[in-house]
Order: sequence, then structure tokens, then C-alpha cells
Amino acid sequence: MDINFSKEDIAFREEVRHWLANDYPKHVKEKTDNGIALTKQDMIDFHKAISKKGWMGYNWPVEYGGTGWSSTQLYIFNKEFGLAGCPPLLAFGVSMVAPVIWTFGNDEQKQRFLPDILEFNTWWCQGYSEPGSGSDLASLKTKAVREGDHYIVNGSKTWTTLAQNADWIFCLVRTDNSGIKQEGISFLLIDMKTPGIEVKPIITIDGEHEVNSVFFTDVKVPIENLVGEEGKGWTYAKFLLAHERFGIAGLGASLRSLNRLKDIISKLNNPDLERKVNELEVSLSAIEITELRLLSALENGGHPGAESSILKIKGTEMQQNLSELFVEAAGEYALMYPGPHGYGSNDKPSGPEYAAEGLSGFLNLRKTSIYGGSNEIQKNILAKFVLGV
Amino acid sequence: MNLDYNEEQNMLREQIQKFCESEYDFYKREEVIKSDNHFDTDVWKLFADQGWLSMPFSEESGGLGFGPIELSILFEEFGKALVIEPYLATIVLSGTLLDKSSYSQKVDLIDKLSSGSMHISLGYAEVDKGYDYLSPSTSIDSNNILNGTKTLVLNGSNAEKLIITCMKDNDFKLIILNTDLDGVSVNSFLTVDGQSCSEISFENVQIDDSNVIASGSEAKKLLNETINLATLCISAEAVGCMESCYFKTLEYTKGREQFGQPISNFQVLQHRMVDMYIESELAKSLLIKAMLEVKNNSDQMYKHVSALKSYIGKSGKLSAKEAVQLHGGMGVSEEMMIGHYLKKMISIDALFGNADFHLKKFAS
Repeated sequence: MDINFSKEDIAFREEVRHWLANDYPKHVKEKTDNGIALTKQDMIDFHKAISKKGWMGYNWPVEYGGTGWSSTQLYIFNKEFGLAGCPPLLAFGVSMVAPVIWTFGNDEQKQRFLPDILEFNTWWCQGYSEPGSGSDLASLKTKAVREGDHYIVNGSKTWTTLAQNADWIFCLVRTDNSGIKQEGISFLLIDMKTPGIEVKPIITIDGEHEVNSVFFTDVKVPIENLVGEEGKGWTYAKFLLAHERFGIAGLGASLRSLNRLKDIISKLNNPDLERKVNELEVSLSAIEITELRLLSALENGGHPGAESSILKIKGTEMQQNLSELFVEAAGEYALMYPGPHGYGSNDKPSGPEYAAEGLSGFLNLRKTSIYGGSNEIQKNILAKFVLGV
Repeated sequence: MNLDYNEEQNMLREQIQKFCESEYDFYKREEVIKSDNHFDTDVWKLFADQGWLSMPFSEESGGLGFGPIELSILFEEFGKALVIEPYLATIVLSGTLLDKSSYSQKVDLIDKLSSGSMHISLGYAEVDKGYDYLSPSTSIDSNNILNGTKTLVLNGSNAEKLIITCMKDNDFKLIILNTDLDGVSVNSFLTVDGQSCSEISFENVQIDDSNVIASGSEAKKLLNETINLATLCISAEAVGCMESCYFKTLEYTKGREQFGQPISNFQVLQHRMVDMYIESELAKSLLIKAMLEVKNNSDQMYKHVSALKSYIGKSGKLSAKEAVQLHGGMGVSEEMMIGHYLKKMISIDALFGNADFHLKKFAS
């Protein structure tokens, strides 16, 4: 048994650290270090910089222009980016729709979409959830009816992250109502500029505009935008979720939060808070080693399956618990959060600098135990596939 | 990186599991607890024959030279079956301390321990000292007369010899002495989890320099390392208990029917059992980290053992309490095994520093 990375992996980690120290765009770093929201252009600059280094296809096979990294390299990459305080990489294009396209799409689709994803020329968003279909995703109702060379799409999607910036959306749509609900779902790629699409902001409790409702009214989608076979969309959707799982614990970012929290608390002389931070540090260590155990199983030929739901549950609880301690550390200054639009965008209210950021994080991170299959759904998955009940 | 156990380690685990299944069921355990010795001499002989008693000792001392990984495997499996034999007291606390010391008689003593023909216990704790083991009141005066009382001496009633901590002229010492010396009195009782434990008093016991194992910083280091290894072992035992709590509860709820169906169908119970499973896996992860740090004798080994001990102190009790709750009335029946995991978790949390103590130690 050996918990250390190989020489090659350590060299790789140095390469990632070197890039983060030298080539991580300065204007982006300055904002994220100071808790200032990034603009669309900032996000594009950040992703283009990664693309320039050749790292955009971090979970892609070499064949499609990806890095061909091992699971360990991917782990290191994720962790180091989190530790450096980088914004989370936008997963929708590169690690969600792309694997579906290269696995189930045709050659024309691969050539048409994959290079632009790799260069971050297109911003993708995800059309899964609907107003009536949350955890019970397969009950979705957005309808696509075949008319000649087109599908006519009607319905609505919700909680669509950053749809306001997106060029394309990948959608689960219903093409057939006759069988059980998992059948009759198809996987469509839709240009966001198509007439009949309307994006309306949903403001979340942190005051931010991150998610949206997307309405489709008689939207004409060419049939060449169907991925794979009609009616097989549910299979592709589940395949995609499996790709989403890894790195979902947000380990690097949590380690960074923990270090900042320890730094803040060291100046407060508050033993109650110190104790809570210490407890989280032990738990974070347990999560980190659990992720390494799954990684080790992967690297040594195993196939960890439902076990990775542990990482989703505990990793997101950790993010939330850490953010809550920032709020507690702010004491009475936790009051001072009117939301991002309540004061001039770059002005800060009085009180410690971490107060507003802490509140913003605490409120924003409520989403983590809800998205990506809510934590209750994860427990259902574990109950079914591990406990066998 | 490879966090899998190797083939030899898996075989060891299977061997111990096989023993626990075929020779050490719950009823056997109950008999052992009620017996005069509070351990089973036949089982102890079998441990010796299997080589388990010499497992952690260095090859120079005639041992197998196995380390913390193999010890953790042994204790994990002991935890699952709630094995009550005095392995911790005799082999880990006394044996590994002797093995690491430069005591002149150690090879002979370790040979006796390995063959199962002798028990030695460690007296490290005193009343009113809490978890501070480095400032004992037990002392030796200038005429080499020993006075004091040790408490919580595990397996003290079976020990031919004792290793104890004491002070002489402000110097911390580890000494070894026979229990049949004049002035040594042993008062034995059972612990909450069925172990034998003693309070041992020394009243004007005459000793000499040949009794001294180590002094000063060497003695402190020896004690700290031994307690740290023992803490790792009982934490591994707790990890085994947690896995059994989860697994036995799952099996029970699958078989228990109420309202016309197995109660494992109820989502509220499923999610609670998932929590037990998750806690058990997270504890295993901390165990892996801690045992590797101890194996490498790293600067961080105390910190990571403390992380593990504080975690299992809390989550181990939680798992055992959940196991009792989900077993309903069966959970609180003395004749059922499940409630005994809770007693074991209470005992493990209390030994060598509880969850709060180790959380502070982790952070310091």
C-alpha cells in the first residue's frame, strides 16, 4: 500500500502549479481572490487560456484532441485549480455534451462541435430539468415533433445555468409518449439563436443571476442535431451523469476555504469556532482519502460505481458547512449583505472583508446538495446499488 | 499510488475472519467473559500457533516483523467479532513497548509473550491524571522503594509482570516488575465491554536498577509511540465495529417484517443505513491514512492517529446507537450481539483520549 503519487504525477502537479502561478489570467485571479463576480468575458478569457495550454480536453481521449490524462492526473488538475481559487471550469460543453457527442454522435457532429468546444468558441448550457421534472427527470414533458427535416420543440427548461451566456443548449426532449417514461426521450442540440427561444433570469437567494428559465415556442431544430438514435436519450443522459461524477467533491476549493477560514479564525480567539473548524478539517481529510481510494481502485483496474455518491454527498455538505463558518466568523457583520446589487458592484460594506463573501457563498452553495442529483437521490442510489434494498 | 491491501494482507484478513466465524461466535465470547481468567487459554494458544502473537515484533526479537497495517487488519476483524482476548494489553501495549526498548531481558520476554506462556500488562494511567500519562504520581524514592497506584490496567489480573510509569527525582521512568512482589496488590473488575481490568497498588515495593526499562526522554518517547500504536489498533477495532453495525443492521431490517413488508423497504430507514455505511467508509479512509503514517514513522503520525481517533469516537458511537435504534427492542437486549457494539464503542472512545481530547491534539 502506497499513498504517494508517482514521480511522473508529481512532475505533472508541478507543471499545473507552474501554469497557475504564471499563466492563470491575472485579471481573473485578482477578481476571484477578492470575491468579485466574474463577467462573461472573464470566463471566456479563463477558458481560452486553458485551451491555449492544451488542457481544455482534460477528460477527453487524445483521439479527439484531448489530454488523455489518467484519473490521477485529472484529480491533481482539479485539486490544484481549486486550491488556486480558480472558478469551477464550465462542465457543460467539455465534460457533459462532448463525451455524448464523441460516443453516440456521428462523424459530422464530431467535426462540427468538438473543435469549438476544445477552443471554447461555443458556450454550452444544459437543458435537463423542467418546472415539473426535478429529481424525477424522466417525467420531462418538453416535446419535439418531427416535421419533415425538422423537429418542432415546445416546452420549457429550468435552472439552466448561465443560459444567458450560452450559444448552444443540449436538451432532453420527449419524442414519444407511448411507452414508459424513460423511453421516448431524445437528445437534441439546439442553437440558442433559433427563433422561439426565450431566456428569463431566475434570481437565487444570494441575489445572483446564475440560473434561468428557457422557453421554447415552435422552435425549429434540424434533424441533423439529433444525437444518436431517437428515443435513446435517457441512456445518453445517464452516461453523461456518470462523466459528471468525478471531482464533484470540490476538494481543492474546500481545502482552500479551510485554509482561509483557519487564517481568519486564528485572529478571533473563539474556541467554539475553532472546534468546529477542526472537526471539518478531520472530515475533509476523510473525504480526501476516500476520493484517493476510489482513484486508486480506478487506476488499478477496479470500477467504483455507486460509491462515488459518497463524494457527492459529503463533498457538498463540506462546501456548505465551510461556508457557514465564514458567516459565523463574521459575527454581527453577517447582517451586512444586501446582495450583489445592493451596493456599487465593487464597493464593500464595513466589517471584515470576508463577511459579504461568506454570506454570498453560504447562500449560493445551498444549490450544491440540490443539483447533480440531490443528496437524497444519491442516498437512494447508495441504498439500491450498495445496500441492495 | 495504490491503496489496495496486498495478497499477503488479504490472506491474513481471511485467516482471522475464518477463525472468528468458526471459533469465536457471540456465545463463545459470553462464556469467555464469565470465565475466571476473562480470556480463553485455548484461543490464546491458537493465536500463538497462528503466529498472531509474534506478528508485530521485530525479527531481531524473534517476531514476524509485521507493522501497523497488519495490526490494523487484525483489530478490524477483532472489532467485527467483538473478540475479547487480551491482545491489546499483552502484545501491543506491553510487547511492542519492550520490543522497541533497549531493555536487556526483552528478547526472552518477547519469546514468552509470543508463545502465549506469559502475560504482561502496562500501567500507564492514574486516577485524577486524565489523559496525561507523562506525569505519574507513582514514584521511587532514593532507597529504590516504589509507592503509588495504577488504574485501568488492562488484563492486570492475568499479568505475571507489569510495566509501569513512575517518577524518580523528577525523572520519568518505565520499569518492569513481578506482580507477586511484596507490597503489590491487584484489585480486578470488568469493564463495560467485558474486558478484565485492574487497579494495582504498590506499597513500599523494593526494586532495583535491573527493573528499569528506560528513563527520561527515551522513556517518554517509548510510551508515546506505544500509546499511539495502541490508539491506532483500537481505532481499527472501532472501524470493524462500525462496518458490522452497518451490515448487521442492514441484514436485520431485510429480515424483519412489519406492516406486511421488510422494514428495509422504508426510505427513512434506508437513508439512515446509508449514513451508517458512509460513516464506516470515511472512518476506513482515515484509518488507511493513519496506519500508513505510523508505518512510515512520519512526523505527522500522531496528528493523523488523533484525527482518526476523534472521528471514530464520534461517528463510531453514532453508528452503534443507530444500530441499536434500528434493531428496536432487540437492540437493547443483553442476549443480542448488536447492543454490545455500543458498549465497545463507549470503551474505545474512553481509552487513550476521547474524541474531544484527540480533536484538540489534532489541531495543536
